[in-house]
Amino acid sequence: MKPAPFEYCRPSSVSEAVDALAAAESGRVLAGGQSLIPAMNFRLTDVSVLVDIRDVAGLDRVTVEPGGVTVGAAATQSRVLADDGAAAVVPGLRVALRHVGHLQIRNRGTVCGSIAHADPAAELPALAVAVDATISVEGPDGGRNIAARDFLLGPFWTALDDAEVVTEVCFPAAPEGAVTVVDEISRRAGDFAVTGLVAIIEPVDAVVRSARLVGFGVGGAPMRLTEAEAALSGWAGHHTDSAVLEAAAADAADAFEDIHATAEYRREVLGALVVRAARKALNSGASP
Amino acid sequence: MIPDIDDHIRHSTRHIGRSVPRREDRGPLTGRGRYVADIKLPGMLEVCIVRSTEAHARITEIDTSQAEALDGVVAVYTGADLADVSTFPDYIAYIGAVRQRPLATDRVRYVGAPYAAVVAVDRYVAEDGAALVAAGTIYEPLPTVADLAQALAPGAPKLFDDWDSNVSVDVAPHKPEVDRAFEEADHTFTDTYWSQRQTGLPMETRGVVAEVTDGTLTVWSSTQSPHMVRTAIALMLGVPEPQVRVIHPVVGGGFGTKTHTYPEDIVVPWIARRLGCAARWIEDRAENLVASAHAREQRHDVEVAYDDDGAIGAIRCTSTLDMGSGEIFMPGTAPVFVTNACITGGYDFPNMQARTVGVVTNKTPAGAYRGFGIPEGAFVMERIIDRVARLTGTDRVALRRRMLLRPGQTPHVMHGGGRLDSGSHTESFERALETTAPALERARTRHADDSDVRVGVGYCNYVEPTSPSYHLTTGQWGGHDSATVRVDPDGSVRVAAGLSAMGQGNETTAAQLAADALGVSPEQVTVVLGDTERAPYGLGSWGSRGAMMLTGSVLMASERLLDKARRIAAHLLEASPGDIVVSDGAFHVAGSPQPSVSWADVGTTAWVRTVDLPDDIEAGLETSAFYHPEHLTHQLDEDGKINAAASWSNGTHIAVVSVRVSTGEVRIEDFIVVHDCGTVINPALVEGQVHGGVVQGIAGAMYEHFQYDSDTAQPRFSSFMDYLVPTCAEAPPIDVDHIESPAPDQPLGVKGCGEGGTVGPPAAVAGAVSDALSEWGVDLTECPVTPVAVRAAIRAAEAAGRGPGATR
Ligand SMILES: Cc1cc2nc3c(=O)[nH]c(=O)nc-3n(C[C@H](O)[C@H](O)[C@H](O)COP(=O)(O)OP(=O)(O)OC[C@H]3O[C@@H](n4cnc5c(N)ncnc54)[C@H](O)[C@@H]3O)c2cc1C
Repeated sequence: MKPAPFEYCRPSSVSEAVDALAAAESGRVLAGGQSLIPAMNFRLTDVSVLVDIRDVAGLDRVTVEPGGVTVGAAATQSRVLADDGAAAVVPGLRVALRHVGHLQIRNRGTVCGSIAHADPAAELPALAVAVDATISVEGPDGGRNIAARDFLLGPFWTALDDAEVVTEVCFPAAPEGAVTVVDEISRRAGDFAVTGLVAIIEPVDAVVRSARLVGFGVGGAPMRLTEAEAALSGWAGHHTDSAVLEAAAADAADAFEDIHATAEYRREVLGALVVRAARKALNSGASP
Repeated sequence: MIPDIDDHIRHSTRHIGRSVPRREDRGPLTGRGRYVADIKLPGMLEVCIVRSTEAHARITEIDTSQAEALDGVVAVYTGADLADVSTFPDYIAYIGAVRQRPLATDRVRYVGAPYAAVVAVDRYVAEDGAALVAAGTIYEPLPTVADLAQALAPGAPKLFDDWDSNVSVDVAPHKPEVDRAFEEADHTFTDTYWSQRQTGLPMETRGVVAEVTDGTLTVWSSTQSPHMVRTAIALMLGVPEPQVRVIHPVVGGGFGTKTHTYPEDIVVPWIARRLGCAARWIEDRAENLVASAHAREQRHDVEVAYDDDGAIGAIRCTSTLDMGSGEIFMPGTAPVFVTNACITGGYDFPNMQARTVGVVTNKTPAGAYRGFGIPEGAFVMERIIDRVARLTGTDRVALRRRMLLRPGQTPHVMHGGGRLDSGSHTESFERALETTAPALERARTRHADDSDVRVGVGYCNYVEPTSPSYHLTTGQWGGHDSATVRVDPDGSVRVAAGLSAMGQGNETTAAQLAADALGVSPEQVTVVLGDTERAPYGLGSWGSRGAMMLTGSVLMASERLLDKARRIAAHLLEASPGDIVVSDGAFHVAGSPQPSVSWADVGTTAWVRTVDLPDDIEAGLETSAFYHPEHLTHQLDEDGKINAAASWSNGTHIAVVSVRVSTGEVRIEDFIVVHDCGTVINPALVEGQVHGGVVQGIAGAMYEHFQYDSDTAQPRFSSFMDYLVPTCAEAPPIDVDHIESPAPDQPLGVKGCGEGGTVGPPAAVAGAVSDALSEWGVDLTECPVTPVAVRAAIRAAEAAGRGPGATR
């Protein structure tokens, strides 16, 4: 478990980082290293140059505004988790981050790195899709902004080009009165989810008015659960759950199977998570 | 039994029975423990083992030239280079001979099989070299067998061409009484139970450092059995045994996996001799998952004869072990024999017939893991009892009560021959039930408002054989262990024992024993373990034998030493040896504390001022003893039975669980243990063993499972992302209570407690989850009990029309 030989550089600006990547045969951005370094140690990832972005001035910034939270590429997960202002504007950041790894992992792992890594079972990419986050990237041809749903293409696969760097991700503020739930089934505390759900639900008078549901650990990328969203609209908690369960199962028709769970399990448990989230939202709406 | 010293200690006990603080923790806890990986020798080279990526193949070519050309690579060796090394011996005649080579020569039988070694200036370069050797290896793939069914199918590909089949061992006794019991019973049922593949997973992986200096080959190995490693190295490398020294420094856990002598224990010393410089190999974490022994994968085909009232008349069980490739020394077959010996546990029912089968497959060789077959057996028995209770409408607790041995019913010989010398089988169950009642009430109250949650309780009563025969496991070694006790001129005591220590606290225990035996304080006792040059030949630590074997050997040696010391003291005091007693570090005539002489006076006389010795006493104050426990046998009797353990601990585990119906999530609300390991030497150490054991047991009950692809026999795991080890976050509240039923025939009544903790959780958790889901008629027959497994069971029940209907 030792990596193959590689070169290491530590640029002080984004443009230097982009240049280093562009010049490399197979360059990689190093952020927190919590996913990249294990992959290199297992020799699963071929890296000729490691471009460490943690010295780039300003990249660790977290900007909280009424309209949203912008997280720089070097900002660690722990830093964002601890930010009360960020949690007030985008509650999903805190509830999602609580599920990410352990303290030691979050102390190094970055929010942007998690999104760039695009693990299908990760919480933050799903949150990004649920809140319509925007990913800002810099490359040899300049910068561009990409919507999260267009950025995350599949398992460990993003719209990022080889020499592009994610500079920041902007998470828009949650709608007034909405309840954000991040819930998952994981085998052990701190594990990646076997199946998980980000739900942004607006309860009105003990009825679900609208719901934004994104499943993770179900498909290759975070998955909007449109049928379950429809089934949930107007739901009041005392109805039988079966319509919601069936809708979620239909959304997850192509759920994958791996060592941790069958596709069937993922389909049915996703529905259970939707019901659980909706109940929670209605309860918290009832007693503010 | 050592009657004199027993008596002496009974009257002077001051440290035995107390939680004397552990002496072995300072190093490891302050980061200064010296593990094998901390040993740095001048000019030391690094070895990386190249392992098969094929599950079954002939190796037709290994091109090492690219690796050899790499800057920093010193040498590359393949199996052919080790032609002068003999194979690992196949000592047991009745199991298939595997003729294991330290490095495979032409055929590999599992992913992870070692076939080459790269020696380089550091581990990075060694791994670069290994990657080049791997790229230069040409395999001719052979058809694979990934599980028991495939291995046993007619015409299955064979792992060993000269065998008739993949069956390594098959011992099938026939008992006509059992046939009769089946004819006479009201009912019978058959089912299959499974236990899944796991490993011991010590925090410290294995490692070997070797060097030759002044004609001595010194080997540091993270092993549980240094003397056995020494014997194997001497034998296989053809080196005189006195020229081999094996040391185990601080060892970060073994859990049975380090009882084996592995290829690297031979290859690294061979490299050190060949190159004439120090070499080291440290197993990495990923390597550990395929290169150290696996365990526990067994299938149990049972038939049970029972009556309307729930009385079990007889059990027939065929226990089949998936041995992996079988290429491991000592062989990995013994646990399945232990399983069959332990199924009965502390339950008394008329008859049982057990067949024992071992089968090879294209997976990592199976070997030892804490529990060594006992959890598998307990699982079978408890699942059978729950089933019979359900089939006959009998209360599960009442049925257990009816069958458990009661006070006065020991010694009791189990169906396999195991002799339960004593124990608290009924008492421990009753006491655990008392603790369970409020725990169950708490869990029910906690979840009363959640219609998605069900609460259940599961039981396991078990026996734990301690200080077992090593002959049945190895075909060579027996069951003794050793100690040398010395008192130096300054009166300090040194104990060196053939036992090793992997964190249990054996140094502390040895110091307590010697202190009380010699009437000194534990601080005056220095303990040396795990060095073949400093301790007499011993078998090491495994089989819950540390406590009993240390007690026997340290007390025996101490008694001999004390006898001599008394004679010297008597001479100095001008009294008769029979009148001399020792207390608080001083010798005096019984009844008159003055005049007295100290241990230092006696030690100085024995070693230094020998002119003061009487003519009939030799100089020196050091004695050795080799202890072999009473009742431990190594051969089957005429009926095919054997008591292969010196004593038997027992206990009860009860799990209270909650199950979330919609997701299958299981939570252990409380885990209750009542444990009886005979006389307790150090309560804190025993409690630690129970806690750690229970969490490892929970690993088997709910988390750990090595899965292989059924088409290719490729591992479906490579890291802790897929082999799920529970952490402290997964550990439930564990309530431990002790009962002491001293072993009637062992020194001080000590039994052993190393493995019992692992035994109960699979049975208790599967029982509890089945109980929680009784509305669906769920009856789990295997572990791990995962959310997926729970949902699958509920779904199957609902598809069959069972269960409360719309439940969510
Ligand atoms: C034990 C353990 C448990 C974990 N559990 C969870 C969990 O439960 N949930 C979860 O979501 N994650 C989990 N993780 C992963 C963790 O959150 C990672 O830190 C995260 O996924 C990657 O972030 P990083 O900053 O460490 O990125 P790195 O490891 O440095 O990089 C990961 C990948 O993203 C690329 N990358 C990173 N930053 C950029 C950038 N700015 N621009 C372009 N490319 C970039 C890298 O080149 C690399 O390919 C766990 C990790 C460990 C070790």
